[in-house]
Amino acid sequence: MKRETIWRHLTLMPAIVLFALLTLLPLANLVTLGFDDVQWLDRQAVRTWVGLANYARLPADNLLRSGLLNTLIFAVAAVALQLVLGFVLALLTTRILNGRTFYRTVFILPILVPGIVIGAIWKLMYSYDFGVLNQLLALVEIAPQDWLGSSHLALLSVIIVDVWHWTPFCFLILLAGLESLPEDIFEAARIDGAGGWQILRYITLPLMLPTLAVTFVFRMILAFKVFDEIYLLTGGGPGTATEVISFTIYRRFFTENQTGYGAAMSVAVILVIASLILAATRLTARRGVKP
Amino acid sequence: MKNVTKHVRQAVAAAALPLAVLAAAPGATAAEQPITIVINQSPWFPGFQAVVEKYVKETGNQVQLDINPFAGSLEKQRTAVRTGTSPFDLLIMNAGFFVEFYKGGFLEPLKAIDAKFALGPGIGDFDQTVCWNAAKSTLDCKTGELMSVPINPNVLLLHYRTDLYKEHNLKVPTTWEQLYANAKVLKSARVYGISQRGQRGAFDVTYDVFPYIWAYGGDILKSNADGTFTVAINSPETLAGMEMYIKLARDVGHPSTAGQTQTNVIQNMATGRAAHINSVPAPALFDDPSQSAVVGLVGYAEPPGTEKYGTATPLGHWLAGVPKNIPDPRKKAALAFLGWFQTDAAQRAYAEAGSLPVSLTVLNSDMANQPKFRWMKALAAALPHSRLPFSITESSQVLAITELRLNQAIGGEMPLRDALNKAAAEIAEVMKAAKYTYQTLPDLK
Repeated sequence: MKRETIWRHLTLMPAIVLFALLTLLPLANLVTLGFDDVQWLDRQAVRTWVGLANYARLPADNLLRSGLLNTLIFAVAAVALQLVLGFVLALLTTRILNGRTFYRTVFILPILVPGIVIGAIWKLMYSYDFGVLNQLLALVEIAPQDWLGSSHLALLSVIIVDVWHWTPFCFLILLAGLESLPEDIFEAARIDGAGGWQILRYITLPLMLPTLAVTFVFRMILAFKVFDEIYLLTGGGPGTATEVISFTIYRRFFTENQTGYGAAMSVAVILVIASLILAATRLTARRGVKP
Repeated sequence: MKNVTKHVRQAVAAAALPLAVLAAAPGATAAEQPITIVINQSPWFPGFQAVVEKYVKETGNQVQLDINPFAGSLEKQRTAVRTGTSPFDLLIMNAGFFVEFYKGGFLEPLKAIDAKFALGPGIGDFDQTVCWNAAKSTLDCKTGELMSVPINPNVLLLHYRTDLYKEHNLKVPTTWEQLYANAKVLKSARVYGISQRGQRGAFDVTYDVFPYIWAYGGDILKSNADGTFTVAINSPETLAGMEMYIKLARDVGHPSTAGQTQTNVIQNMATGRAAHINSVPAPALFDDPSQSAVVGLVGYAEPPGTEKYGTATPLGHWLAGVPKNIPDPRKKAALAFLGWFQTDAAQRAYAEAGSLPVSLTVLNSDMANQPKFRWMKALAAALPHSRLPFSITESSQVLAITELRLNQAIGGEMPLRDALNKAAAEIAEVMKAAKYTYQTLPDLK
């Protein structure tokens, strides 16, 4: 091996060691925990090997099933809406000549608000008795809605909050993407007589596909990990209407103190999410988009 | 640059807020090491904070309060006792999970720190929950060791609007049927007959249904005298109690009972929108004009019951224990605080600050005759009928089941009988996995 190559590897070593210590070791610990039952006796953790028993329990776990389904609905619906709204807002902002900075600042405000504050704000707005939404409905003589307490409305209410919170993220990335597109292609299209819709359909969208794909993958990863909004707004209820996987893991692992089972659930969920993200990436790659 | 420093300082100050450091008065000399208490943010917390400030002022000993949400406090306590040295010197544990700390051997028996230490005069043992017999794994003050000191006597009390009762010439109910009748009279377009907590949480809806199901002779997980258990959540008696809860919710209750948290319920009473609530008492809040529209208008009584079984209220009390994994001087310092907290003066100060004293002597004292402390008589009457809902280490797993199934039944997501049968089967699985001896009941038809 060349001296230069060895040197390169050596300089990378600290980063690799740090990565192994901070990421791979905890992950390895999680995997091994998943094969154990953990009890605490006389201040000592007593770990008993149970093989695949923890994994075998997963399919029958009603909370996990609801959590997976709700997370999928939540992620797909919220991210789709955020992409559409973010793209529309970005398109509109690029057309503004004066005051673009002002609009950009206004649009990204929700992303700057901490999750705990968002939870408090929306919980108040959704309140059955005192919420501004029901007060507005009362003005047009519509009966108050049980936004967070009804199993039909709760997930939708949480999705709305997530869309409000994260659309700015999509807006920012897509705006950067739009602003980096080569202007000469658009000029040529206009000279050739292309209309606004045709430019959007045949030039803007195809050119933006890689950016859209990256935004989609980033947001999907974050949407699968949603926790704070659910924790603060509904606690997973009513029933299992807003149960999401991160919340299920939290309950099993921490609240119920089922360390081994919680670890097995975490590993299984990591695998499921990784598979979904991989599938999404492959799908976009097959369409010629490289995120 | 100056501005940046200022912002950094503000950010650090904001981040440090949950950790309140209570400094001693200039003249006082600390006799003990500083201690840190891990506690949850509850309606009674401001009173506890006030009494800790008094302790710091009087003794010069320093105390830090690590304040958390309910579930967050439990997680911090678990982590603390499982590490080499706990950062906390006193754990404020809830009735729902303290057994886990006893059974895991995480707490130092208080007499092992000071052989002379004992519960103060008039301080109750709260259904023997302060003692633990490690050999038998039972809560037993005759054969077990003193493990903790009660800090807050949380039990559910009936709160009712005295002005509405006077206006309609109603009598304070002693049975659920009487409460139903009164709530029907008081229900109007502006006022709910009753507001009940029905939301799923850590120990929320389950805690609040106990007075109903016990009043009809039911239970969730019954501890038998021979050390075995009966999964009783699908008994006809439990069904009767739950039917009463749902009848109240449906006919005279809040339209969103399944979505109501403790905060919502208290808020409904404080804003004058509820004629009745069953809640852990937060009297200071209802008599504070800046937070309440019903100052002086809330009356307190034991939760209703039935003619046959009387009344019962679940213990949701808080206990303070000293972790084993701290140095001896810190254990001694923690015990010094507990000793002081039990004194008559501290207990009176605790009540003055708006919290509920654990001393029966104070609850039955002349203080109870003052209008400000009108809740004391109700609390003193309710405590002898208070019961510990669960005494197994796996209670958090049982609660996860009951919180979901009861919430589904209340919200109409699942028929009540199905929800109770399903919960019974799931609880039986937990009992089986934990190797308890237990019986089950036939499914409700």
